[in-house]
Amino acid sequence: MQHIMDITHGYQWLTVIWWLMIGLFVVLYIILDGADLGSGIYSLFNSDSEERGAIMASMAGTWDANETWLVVAGGAIFGTFPLAYGSLFHYLMIPLMVVLWGIIVRAVSLEFHHYSKRSRKVWDWGFGIGSLATTFAAGVSLGAFLQGFSMSTGQVPTFNGGAMDFLTPFSLLTGVTAVIAASLAGGTYLRARFNRDTEIYAKALKWTDLMFYLALVAILVTVAWTFIQFPWARDKWIGPYWWAYVTAGAIVLYATWSMRKASREQRDITAMLWLACIVFINFATMMATLYPWFVPGTMTIFDAANPSNSLAAFSYAMLGFVPVMLSYNFYQAWVFRARLHKLVGYAH
Amino acid sequence: MILAEVGQPQFSTQITLYGAHRAIYHREKKMTDPTLMIDLARLDFAWITTMHILYPPLTIGLASFLLYSEWRWLKTDNDEWYRLTRFFEKLFIINFGAGVATGVTMEMSFGILFGPFSQAAGPFFGNILGYETITAFMYEAGFIGLMIFGWGKISKKMHIFATFNVAFSSMLSAMWILVANSWMQSPTGVHLEKGLFLVDDWTAAIFNPNFLTAFPHMAIASIEIGLFFVAGISAWMIYKNRHAQMFMRTLTASLMALVIVAPLQVYIGDELGRTVAEHDPAALAAMEGHWHTYNADGTPNTSWNLIAWPDEEKGTNTFQIGIPHVLSLLEDHKWVSTVKGLDQFKPEDRPPVLAPFYAFRIMVAAGGILMLVAFWALYLRYKGKFSAEELQRRPWFLRAIIFSAILPYIAIWTGWWTREIARQPWLVHGLMRTSEGVSQMSIAAEIIWFIGFVFFDLVVWIGAWYFFSKVVRTGPDMDEEIMYGVQDDGFGLVQIPRKDPPEGKPLIERPTV
Repeated sequence: MQHIMDITHGYQWLTVIWWLMIGLFVVLYIILDGADLGSGIYSLFNSDSEERGAIMASMAGTWDANETWLVVAGGAIFGTFPLAYGSLFHYLMIPLMVVLWGIIVRAVSLEFHHYSKRSRKVWDWGFGIGSLATTFAAGVSLGAFLQGFSMSTGQVPTFNGGAMDFLTPFSLLTGVTAVIAASLAGGTYLRARFNRDTEIYAKALKWTDLMFYLALVAILVTVAWTFIQFPWARDKWIGPYWWAYVTAGAIVLYATWSMRKASREQRDITAMLWLACIVFINFATMMATLYPWFVPGTMTIFDAANPSNSLAAFSYAMLGFVPVMLSYNFYQAWVFRARLHKLVGYAH
Repeated sequence: MILAEVGQPQFSTQITLYGAHRAIYHREKKMTDPTLMIDLARLDFAWITTMHILYPPLTIGLASFLLYSEWRWLKTDNDEWYRLTRFFEKLFIINFGAGVATGVTMEMSFGILFGPFSQAAGPFFGNILGYETITAFMYEAGFIGLMIFGWGKISKKMHIFATFNVAFSSMLSAMWILVANSWMQSPTGVHLEKGLFLVDDWTAAIFNPNFLTAFPHMAIASIEIGLFFVAGISAWMIYKNRHAQMFMRTLTASLMALVIVAPLQVYIGDELGRTVAEHDPAALAAMEGHWHTYNADGTPNTSWNLIAWPDEEKGTNTFQIGIPHVLSLLEDHKWVSTVKGLDQFKPEDRPPVLAPFYAFRIMVAAGGILMLVAFWALYLRYKGKFSAEELQRRPWFLRAIIFSAILPYIAIWTGWWTREIARQPWLVHGLMRTSEGVSQMSIAAEIIWFIGFVFFDLVVWIGAWYFFSKVVRTGPDMDEEIMYGVQDDGFGLVQIPRKDPPEGKPLIERPTV
C-alpha cells in the first residue's frame, strides 16, 4: 500500500484528525443509542405490553437523533477513509446486514407502535428483538474488526476472505459483551427516565444490579483475551506508555465505583453520566491502543485515508459547515430543553 | 511498506492464525461463477435502492408543499390551512421514517456489495456522499425535529423557517446524491492513478454534464410526486365528501401547480435524453432499441421504435414497429440525422436492451398521462367547474386524480431502472466495469441478503402504506387547538411535587407507566 501512502503523506495530521472525528462519532453513537438499545433488550425480559409502550414513548423524540450519529459515522468513513470503507464493510457483510435488519425492525416498530392497535404486540416484540439483534451484531462486528482481515495484494488491496471470516470465539464474546453492556446502559437510562414510585423503576434497579456484575466479568474477560491474543494491544499496554493505560484503567475503576454509588443513592442522571464517561474512556483507550492501525494488523489509518487532495477539500468544506451545524443543534436542544416532562411524541 | 515507518511489527501471521476455515472459503469462491455473483450483487443493490427511492422524492416534494401551505396559513390566517398543514405533516412523518429506515442500509451497502468500487471511486464519490450525510442529512434531521415538535414552542416565523430548511435541505440532499450518481454516468474532472480516481477539478466533477440535466429532472420529479400525492389524497377526501370544501384548497393548489410542473418535466426529460445521447450513446441506443446506425441502403436509420423485441445474441430486433424520422427528431431535433446504433459498440460494451427499452417507455407514458390529467384539471377550471359540488358530479375526474397518485412512483422506478441498466456494463462510464467494482462475495451470502431485505423492506413498505391509509381514514384533526406561535400553558417545565429530594436541576421529568 506504499503508493497510497505517497499520496497522503503530506497530510498526515489531517488524516489523524479525521480518524479522531470518526472515533468521536462512533463513541457518541454508542453512548446515545446504547441506552435505547439496552432498554429494548430490557423490555424483552421484563415488560408487559403497556410497559414496552412506555419505554418506546420515552425515546420517541430522541431515538432517531441518536441514530443520526451512526449515519454520520458511516458517511464520514466513506468520505475520509474510502479504502477502509470498501474493504472493512465487505468483510463485515453478514454482521452489518443483521445490524441493518435490526435497525429497520426497531425503527419501524418505534414509528408504527403509536399508530397501531391490533398489531401492537408485533411492534412490541419487533422493538425488543430488533434492539437485541442490532446490539449483538454490532458487538460481533467490533470483535471481528479487532481481529483484522486478509487483503489481496493488487494495486488497490481489498478484502479477499470469505463471508464467515468474521465468526470466531472472540467476536462472539464481544457480541455477548455488547449485549450486556447495552443492557446495563438501558437499565440506567430507564432509572433516570421513570418516576421513582413506578414498578419499572424498581425492576430496573434489579436488572442494573445483575447487569453490572455480568458486565464487569464480560469486560475483564474481553480485556484479558485481547491482551493474550493480540500482540498489537499487548505491546502497547506493556510498552513505554504503560502508565497511561494503567491510569486510564484506574479512572475507569473509579468511575465504575462512582456510578454504582450514584445508582444506589438514586442520583440516576449522575449514574448515566458516569456510565457515559466509562464508555468514552474505554473507547479512547481502544483508539490509543489501535494507533496507527485503522484495522489492526490489516491497514493503518494512513493506508486507509483518502488521497490528500480529496481529504483537504473535504475538510475545508466540513470545517465551514460544522459551526453552522453545531449552532442549530444547540438551538434545537435549547428549544426542547423542557420538552421531556411530558411525552408529546408523534401526533397520533 | 508503511509499517516499518511507524515502528510497528507486522502481524501477517496473526491474521491467518484464526482458522483453517478461511482457506476453505477461498477455495469455494474460486469455483463460483463470476457472472452469477455480479448479477446477484446488482440484484441485491437494485432491490434496496428500488425500495428506498419510494420515500425520499415524496419527502422532498411534500416538504415544499408543507412550506407552501404553512405560508398560506400565515398569509390568510385561515384555520383550514393550519389543519391541512398538520394533516399532511402526519403523512410526511411516516414517509420520512420509512425513508430513514431504508436509507441507513444504502449508506453501508456501497462498501459491502461494491467494495472495490467504493475504494477506487472513494476520493470523489465517497466525499460527495459524506457531504450529503453531513450538510444535508444532519441538517434535515435537525430541522425536522423542530418542525414536528416545535408547534407551540417556537414562534410562527421560526416554525416556517424550520419548514423552509427541511424543504431546502432535502433538496440539497437530492443534489448531492445526483452529483454522485451523474458522475458515474459522465465521469469528468478525475483521472485514474494507481487504481484510484483522483480529482483534478472539483467543479468539473461536481457539475458534470449529466448532472446538469439529471438533477433538474429528479428535482422536478420529486415536486411532481409530492403534488400528485397531495392531489390524490385531496381528491379522495372530496370523492368521499369529507371536508370537501377544505380539501378543495389543496386540490386546486396542487393541480394548478402541476399544469406548469408536469409539462416542464416532459421538457427536461427530453433534455436529459439528449444529454445521454451525447455522452453515452450506447445507453440511448439501448433505451430506444436502436441497433442499426444505417439502413440497408446506406441512409441514416431514423426510425423510432414504438414496440420491439430485441435479440441481443443476433444484435437486432426480432420484430419492431418503427416510425421513421421520430428518432432523429427526438435526439437531434432534426428531420434526418445519424444516431449511433448498438452496432457501433463491441458486444461486450453493449448494455442490456429489453429492460431499458420498456422501462423507458413506461416512464414516458406515465409522464404523458400525468400531464394530460393536469390539463384536464385546467380545462375544468377554465370552464368554471372547479368546485367541490361540480367535481363530485364528475367522479371519473376524481378517480383519475386518485389513480394518478400512483403513476409518479411507477415513473420514478422505471426511470431509475432505465438509467442504471442502460449504463451497464459500466459502473463508472468508460472507466470501470461493474465486474471490476463488485465485491467478491459468496453466492449464499448474496442470496441471504436478498431474501432478508425483500422481507424487511416489504415490512416497511406495507407498514408505511397501512399507516398512510389509517391517517387518511382518520382525516384531519378539526378539534385540536391551533398553535399560534409560542404557547405558555402546559409547555413550560411543570413542577410536579416530588417525594424524593431532587438531584440538582433535573432536565428530565419521569413519565409514569
